[in-house]
Amino acid sequence: MSLLNHISLNVFLSLMVLIAPLCAFMATVFGGRKISGGLLAVTAMCISVIGSIVVFVNVWNGEQIHEQITWFTVGANEFKAGIILNNLSVLMMVLISVVGLPVHIYSVFYMKGDPGIHRYWMYLSLFCFAMLALVMADSLLLMYVCWELVGFASYLLIGFWFTKEAAIRANKKAFLINRIGDLGFLIGICILYSQFQTLDVELLFGEQGFINQAVNDGVRWQFRGASVPAVWLTLAGTAFFMGAMAKSAQFPFHIWLPDAMEGPTSVSSLIHAATMVAAGVFMLVRISPLFDATVLLMIGSIGAFTAFMAATIALTQYDIKKILAFSTISQLGFMMVAIGIGQYGVAMFHLVTHAFFKCLLFLAAGAIIHEMHHVRDQNQLDFDPQDIRNMGGLRKYMPKTFRLTLIAALALAGLPLTAGYLSKDAILIYAFEWAEWRSNIWMIVPVSLLLTSALTAFYIARLVFKVFYGKFRLALNYQKTIALYEAPVGMRYPMTFLALCALFPLFSYNPLVFENVWLLNGFDKTEALQRVNIYHTVVPAAVNSISIIVIFVAWRWYARLKYPLKGTGVFFKFSLNQWYLDAVYHKLIIKVVKWFSRILYAFDRTFVDGLVDKLGRAIPLLANMVEWVDRKLVDGVVNGAGTLSNILGDTFRNAKSGRVQQYLFSMFLFFLIILFLGISFF
Amino acid sequence: MITLTHFLIVSALLFVIGLYAVLAKRNAVLVLVGIELMINAAVLNLVSFGRYDKALYGGQTFALFAIVLAAASVAVALAIILNVYRYYKNINPHDIRDLKD
Repeated sequence: MSLLNHISLNVFLSLMVLIAPLCAFMATVFGGRKISGGLLAVTAMCISVIGSIVVFVNVWNGEQIHEQITWFTVGANEFKAGIILNNLSVLMMVLISVVGLPVHIYSVFYMKGDPGIHRYWMYLSLFCFAMLALVMADSLLLMYVCWELVGFASYLLIGFWFTKEAAIRANKKAFLINRIGDLGFLIGICILYSQFQTLDVELLFGEQGFINQAVNDGVRWQFRGASVPAVWLTLAGTAFFMGAMAKSAQFPFHIWLPDAMEGPTSVSSLIHAATMVAAGVFMLVRISPLFDATVLLMIGSIGAFTAFMAATIALTQYDIKKILAFSTISQLGFMMVAIGIGQYGVAMFHLVTHAFFKCLLFLAAGAIIHEMHHVRDQNQLDFDPQDIRNMGGLRKYMPKTFRLTLIAALALAGLPLTAGYLSKDAILIYAFEWAEWRSNIWMIVPVSLLLTSALTAFYIARLVFKVFYGKFRLALNYQKTIALYEAPVGMRYPMTFLALCALFPLFSYNPLVFENVWLLNGFDKTEALQRVNIYHTVVPAAVNSISIIVIFVAWRWYARLKYPLKGTGVFFKFSLNQWYLDAVYHKLIIKVVKWFSRILYAFDRTFVDGLVDKLGRAIPLLANMVEWVDRKLVDGVVNGAGTLSNILGDTFRNAKSGRVQQYLFSMFLFFLIILFLGISFF
Repeated sequence: MITLTHFLIVSALLFVIGLYAVLAKRNAVLVLVGIELMINAAVLNLVSFGRYDKALYGGQTFALFAIVLAAASVAVALAIILNVYRYYKNINPHDIRDLKD
């Protein structure tokens, strides 16, 4: 353990950050129900927060720290494990712990009285540990292990209320789709390993890393004598992107995220808004040097399409959590576009801001759902507490929650003074500049993002107005006075903290221009885009004016109840049913797979089993033959010997009959025979 | 002209008839008769070949011996037959098989 001798303070602290939630997890696993899981988990998170902030201050924009030990050796190949601390890692560490802590505190109150609370803390600690380990891991193999752990923890948490059929379906769906993506990740790892014989992140993706040393002349991809067709580079990038698509819920792997809302809301806020879905984006940034132009274009296109698609679906959903889920998918699409245009820093920046405000939105939704549950249980009514059609006018009952939601909604819509404004405008402006230097067809990416921004403003405005404005529709439906109350303090303070993080001061002293954001300066701009000044003024102005108009329209429609649409149109149905993708997948993939399985089953029944049956029938036949041989030949010889002795015995016994005349006769006969033989001899 | 061959044929016939009697008769006395016939066939042979030994009359001498022997053996055999009859009340050689073991 020479490692311990020269272990630096930062490495020690990082390990502490990592081990705290692991200890909480272990304690809840082995401590049984007597242990207060909540206290443990929150304490562990506090340790992680303090540790990660100290490490962040020490490492940010400083030297990269990389410590490793030999993990295991296969033949001559050493696999190392360790932690790597650079801007990306420490930023993610801080994000995970700083978003995780409020969620933990919130959960203490939100999950109070749940019979499975013990399991809840166990899973949550496991998840935090896996996620922290993922961002620190210094080798792709270790990353993959943590990646799987994150997926597994997510599976456990989505299916937390495992008595609900829907929850079980949702967690199976999430897990399976993530496994499909993980296959891509694994293939990518295999390609890189076969080309470079190492999985070390620093060696592969560092400034002077193997990827940058490798030569790609468009035909061959060469590195130190290893030479493969250039298409493998594209394939590797695509494979890694496939892993990120599943984790970050990009089309066509996005269908698990809306269903994942079956888990507790606090889980949705942490996992499906702030951290796990960000793991895909983080991973792409981590391996960014790998991508060639083709893969980047693909990432950008899929991101843009996903952003647009999810936003259109969010327009018509009635379940408050589903709206937020599609919003998350849409915002992840924005991050993917940022990666696709080579602005990794911007992608990370949007990831961070989005984590804060989306987490806040979910927690606010959780507070509302919490209250609606109370109403349902006290009045013994039967309604869906997550349906926004049952809400309305909640501003009067929950003013503090309303204000917090409003901040998060403004950040999501990207209005000035919020962090969301800075990061979204950065993506939009860079997208326009990127498209400027490409053929006109690529203008579709920034333009669709612009459109998506407008849709974003509309659907979040719709949510806010339908929930907080107008009249309380539930009371109207049941013709009785129903009162809701403000969420408990313990839930409000974490939300307040997140709301503060969603405003501009945390990121920049200038609320209008993103160039001053310190976070962006911590990442290299991989592609020096020429600055096109006009975009820097026109785009924010355009986005915000469109947003404000859209929000005004939404206000007239939903708050003033001047709703012009019937809700029966083709587009409306298309959006409400989530573009029918589930049905399409069901028809295209599940049906086909099942059909194929049936064919295989039939093949198995007729051919494989048939062969076995035939063999089974053939063997008795063979056995019969063998048995016959055995009986007739082998036993025949034995029996024959017996019979022969019998015959001989009979012959000699019967010869001695006691009849004198017979004796004489035989004597005579033998005499004759001897005579005859004698004559024939001589 | 009666030659040696005729004698020998007669003797062979006698012998064979005697042999048949010995092998097939159901009466011990007749078996004895068959034995006598066979001895007589032998005696006839001896006598017929006696012509060629005019110096010593070996054939006739031998024949006399044989006749004497035959008489003695018949005496003994009859004694045995009588004893057998006394014991078994039966002189059918077919039925008397106690000498087997």
